[in-house]
Amino acid sequence: MMLGLACLLLTAGVLVFVFAPVQRLESSPEKTRLVFLRERKETVYENLRDLNFEYKAGKFPEEDYQTMRASLEEEAAAVLSEIERLENLNSGILAKKGATGNPV
Amino acid sequence: MAELGSFSLLLALALAAYALVAGIIALTKKSEGSDRLGETARRAGIAVFGAVALAAVVLVTATFQNDFSISYILHHSNRDLPIPYKFAVLWSGQEGSLLFWALLLSAYGLILRLRHKVDTRLVAYASVVISAVQVFFLLLVNFAANPFAMTIGTLPPDGFGLNPLLQYPEMVIHPPMLYLGYVGFTVPFAFALAALIMKYPGEKWIHITRRWTMVTWGFLTIGIFLGQHWAYSVLGWGGYWGWDPVENASLMPWLTGTAFLHSVMMQEKRGMLKVWNVWLIFSTFMLSIFGTFLTRSGVVSSVHAFAESSIGPWFVTFLALIFATCLYWFLRNRDHLRSEHRLESLVSRESSFLFNNLILLVACFTVLWGTLFPVLSEWVQGTKVTVGPPFFNRVNIPVALLLLVLTAVGPLLAWRKTSIESLKRNFRIPVISGLAVGALIIAVGYIKPWTEQSALYSFITIVLAVMVAVTIASEFLRGARVIARHTGQNLFASIVHLTRRNTRRYGGYIVHFGVIVIMIGFAGSAFNRDIERELSNGQSMSIGPYTLTMRSNTQDDNPNYASEWAIIDVSKDGKPLTTMYPERRFYKAMQQPQSMVALHSTLKEDLYLVYSGINQDTGNPIIKAHVNPLVLWIWIGVHIMVIGTVIALIPNMAAQRVPVRAPLRATELIADKPGQPVGVGS
Amino acid sequence: MPRITIRRWLQIVLVVGVTVALLGAGDDARFNRLGHKLMCPCGCAEQLLECNHVGCAYSDGMRKELAAAVQTGASDDAILQQFAEKYGTTVLAAPTKHGFDIVAWIMPGVVLVSGAWLAVILIRKWKYRVAPAVQTSATAAQLDAFRARARQETEL
Repeated sequence: MMLGLACLLLTAGVLVFVFAPVQRLESSPEKTRLVFLRERKETVYENLRDLNFEYKAGKFPEEDYQTMRASLEEEAAAVLSEIERLENLNSGILAKKGATGNPV
Repeated sequence: MAELGSFSLLLALALAAYALVAGIIALTKKSEGSDRLGETARRAGIAVFGAVALAAVVLVTATFQNDFSISYILHHSNRDLPIPYKFAVLWSGQEGSLLFWALLLSAYGLILRLRHKVDTRLVAYASVVISAVQVFFLLLVNFAANPFAMTIGTLPPDGFGLNPLLQYPEMVIHPPMLYLGYVGFTVPFAFALAALIMKYPGEKWIHITRRWTMVTWGFLTIGIFLGQHWAYSVLGWGGYWGWDPVENASLMPWLTGTAFLHSVMMQEKRGMLKVWNVWLIFSTFMLSIFGTFLTRSGVVSSVHAFAESSIGPWFVTFLALIFATCLYWFLRNRDHLRSEHRLESLVSRESSFLFNNLILLVACFTVLWGTLFPVLSEWVQGTKVTVGPPFFNRVNIPVALLLLVLTAVGPLLAWRKTSIESLKRNFRIPVISGLAVGALIIAVGYIKPWTEQSALYSFITIVLAVMVAVTIASEFLRGARVIARHTGQNLFASIVHLTRRNTRRYGGYIVHFGVIVIMIGFAGSAFNRDIERELSNGQSMSIGPYTLTMRSNTQDDNPNYASEWAIIDVSKDGKPLTTMYPERRFYKAMQQPQSMVALHSTLKEDLYLVYSGINQDTGNPIIKAHVNPLVLWIWIGVHIMVIGTVIALIPNMAAQRVPVRAPLRATELIADKPGQPVGVGS
Repeated sequence: MPRITIRRWLQIVLVVGVTVALLGAGDDARFNRLGHKLMCPCGCAEQLLECNHVGCAYSDGMRKELAAAVQTGASDDAILQQFAEKYGTTVLAAPTKHGFDIVAWIMPGVVLVSGAWLAVILIRKWKYRVAPAVQTSATAAQLDAFRARARQETEL
């Protein structure tokens, strides 16, 4: 008897917990290309900082360092330019929306 | 009592099934309510933990109440079992350990679902994968191996007791650690599969799972070495690793997990090896399941396979399902895993990671191959063969040495491409130090590598270990010097600063250092000696520098076990050193004898005494003495590894990174269609 | 290159070491070596010399038998063969090098070599891979500016 009651209470508690109405749904925004590029920029920057550090620690000869840094910087520049292009595009869209009075 | 346990297990199964189904529907149907449905799935997932935990609490409580009407408790406990071991009853038999698996899995699932804010969609997918695994284990404990099954027939007055091998303090923590390791690999697996299914853009999922993987790997490492230490102190044969199938089962996911921890850096830093990493983590998870299966199914004979049973087919089916799922999603979404960079040179850090992975995997294959060869041989030629320590040692020692070479070489190579000039600059000091130490060892005559193969291997190990140590030291010193120049701190403060700037790298180096200390410990086993003799009171025997004199032979009795032990005075080079008490116990409930080893450990060597038995004719004890060099190094090395892992888990100090704010809502207007690989140039 | 020096040096040590090892040692060493090539058949899954199982029905007798066999001066192979005939092939702690058993020994090497070969091929192939890096439509001058910015932001 006691046991049946305990099981019943347990089930009821669980059901309430699972199906109780939600006040606020957490949801992270869909990942955009801009976010991806920013992540990418961080990685390339991290690689560059590492390279600089290891060079200063005396692990690479000057010549190696220059080539490695050049190729990483090239990658960084491409990412940065893309980020800037997208950001400009976004603020353009925002400005346009603002002008026509549409809520964003 | 038992009914409550059974009920909560059923409830847990229902909840896990709901979390699985509702989760899938919420993710596939794009409708108004799907977010809400997803939230109920998440909560059901959380509730699974409550239900499984309740079942575990019920089982432990019933053990303390000596409720022998539950068959599992009757077979694994008895009234006089000391309190800590009553907790251990939970994981000492098949049904209990499966329940324990389910419990740990639901605990990991709980943490994952509570921390869903890191990326709700990704966690929702991963949570579905976890639910699927939960459903499998809950099906097992509900229908194939129910820990709450009732005792059939008349109830005996006392239980059959806990296996005496397991009545040892470390055995209380060894299985939980090992299981935390096994089970924990479910989480990175779930994330990897989730990222593949949803074509998750970028490598951030790796960032999220990195800590999970390291924690899991750390637990598995601790678990394995606790097992070794237990074997060394309890089994009493003087060694710590016997290449037993169950030991092998824990080693295999450790090897692939280690490979994953390394190769994942390639993906994070360079966007390479994506396919490889995905399969590596899939295999690691499958090997953990396979390990549980080996331990529990009795496919291969083993001292650890405490119970043999019919759950084998369940595991085989589950493994096949996992493999099929992974393969399906891989084939469907493999475009997503395209590499972003080319590999520029054979001599680069990239390729050293590649070879590191290759060798770890060859080691894993060898272990798997050796473990399963008896089954294969019986199937092919009809005769069963034994694949024992001579095979594994012979094959795996060279592999381990190759790995040690890479440990020394890898960190010194540059990413992308390493020039000859750079090689010369970085390798000079480690190589010279290694050779110098080698020459010194030969000159002093400490090891004569030409006498025996094992001596040669030990010699090579030590030389390589010195090279690795010097490499690591130079990494720390050179880095610290740069910091010191910038900040004006002293060398020690700079080393601390350096480590805190990049905890993963320098923590990793500390782990490597632990590994070489352990390797040196292993190398010592080439010089093990032993002697066995019957000793009457006052009689002596000697081994190495030690003289052992029997003072007396005593007996004792308590409700759990009867024991007999010898009191032996030990002197070293003629000077009194210590007194040791090797013991043998006879556990009453299980009617089994068990030896308790007496140990005197120093950095140089262990003196290890075993009470082998009594000569029935004379009544004198037979004592076996081992002198095992360098064993203490292994246990010290493990501590270093753990410290390194903990350091690697601490977040980096660098506050230089500006947090990337959530994107403007309007960006979604120009975002590529969701689900497309945004990483590939548009 | 220092790496080659090490490898060469290892080869020399290996050759010398193995040669000397093959010259053989005394009876005690042989007993010890052979005793570790046999398993105790009592079910303890230990090597013969490491079975310390109280009251083991096999290991004591087998150790005496092994000691006697070593005394007779029979070859290692012959002794192992004799044990295998008496106690079944599972008494040998490792697969033999005849027949199908040799596969056990060959496979790890095959996997290592073919894995290494594959890795080298892959590295070669990846060298010429066109990397789908981020594409950009920026002009050279703009890119130079971005490059300078990246350098400035990552300086230590």
